[in-house]
Amino acid sequence: MLGLASSRKTAWRLAVRTDEELIAEILNGEAAAFSELAARHRPRVERLCHRFFSDPEIARDLVQECFIRAYTALATYRREMPFGGWLRAIATNLCYDELRRRRRRPEELVADFTAPEVQWMNLVNEATPEEIVAAADERREAHDLAHCLLDSLRAEDRTVLILKDSEELNVREIAEIMGWSEAKVKIRAFRARQALRKQAERMRAAAGKRERWS
Amino acid sequence: MINCFEARQEFRAFWRRELPAERRAALVSHLAGCSKCDRSFRNFALGAPVLHSVGEPPQRAVAESQSARDARARRSGGVVRGEFVPRRGLAMSAAAMVLLAASLAAYFSVTTPVDTLNDELSVDPIVSQIPSSDLYPSSEDLAG
Repeated sequence: MLGLASSRKTAWRLAVRTDEELIAEILNGEAAAFSELAARHRPRVERLCHRFFSDPEIARDLVQECFIRAYTALATYRREMPFGGWLRAIATNLCYDELRRRRRRPEELVADFTAPEVQWMNLVNEATPEEIVAAADERREAHDLAHCLLDSLRAEDRTVLILKDSEELNVREIAEIMGWSEAKVKIRAFRARQALRKQAERMRAAAGKRERWS
Repeated sequence: MINCFEARQEFRAFWRRELPAERRAALVSHLAGCSKCDRSFRNFALGAPVLHSVGEPPQRAVAESQSARDARARRSGGVVRGEFVPRRGLAMSAAAMVLLAASLAAYFSVTTPVDTLNDELSVDPIVSQIPSSDLYPSSEDLAG
């Protein structure tokens, strides 16, 4: 009985190799092991890229680029930090560079809304908090509008908000990923929240105005 | 009862439906009685679907967001799938510049009334024979 359990455990260990084992294999020339490593971390990297970009094509390209960079730079990976964190740093920097490349002027972004987006904003303005939370999952426009709101922020602000709120990283971790000082991260986080609040107010006010006019 | 600081700390867990019933009720009760926190929550709710959602974005949102974004870009200008769409503000500025240039050109092309009078006088056969000193008073005449 004990022998059977032990052999099962060994089989499981063989089947599920750790990230470090896979990396060692890749560095020894077994490139095929990278697909297993990538498959393991792909959902998290995809989710992160989707928080930066609503366009699935851009997100997909960035995920692809992230794994290409990880593969080519695998020899520089240090075991002190988890592989997932290392990948996240690569993905974040890629997304940040892409955001800066695609920088748009904030005032353009709070200009026009589709009818469903206005309906969602009106719901946010008028419904109870519980109704808002319940409705958010079903409404695709809620997601689009949140992206529109984040698009209005500076690349630095958006990156800090995503890392802090979505990825739940602390100031030191964000500073390490971005290569900024901790003071800069704190300032950017503060300004990002201010900017987000201001833009959200503008959006809600615009929706209210549109409702009155229609 | 919870205070404003505690209430705002709970937004995220409330959005993710991770709050126990008791704390959820306390938060809802606080939001009902505090207009500042209520407004803060409504602002939070606009960004939360991306910043605080735990799952994947709604499938249709991903599929349709491209067309929504294209439509928005078409309205406000930008690049839609590699195709450049002029910005509305830029197009309006260009139109205003063209209008201004046309107006200035039209203004300067029209002969001013003074020039017309001088031209007519110079063409007149009688007036052309009169020396200009007789037509216009000299400075000495004016002084005298």
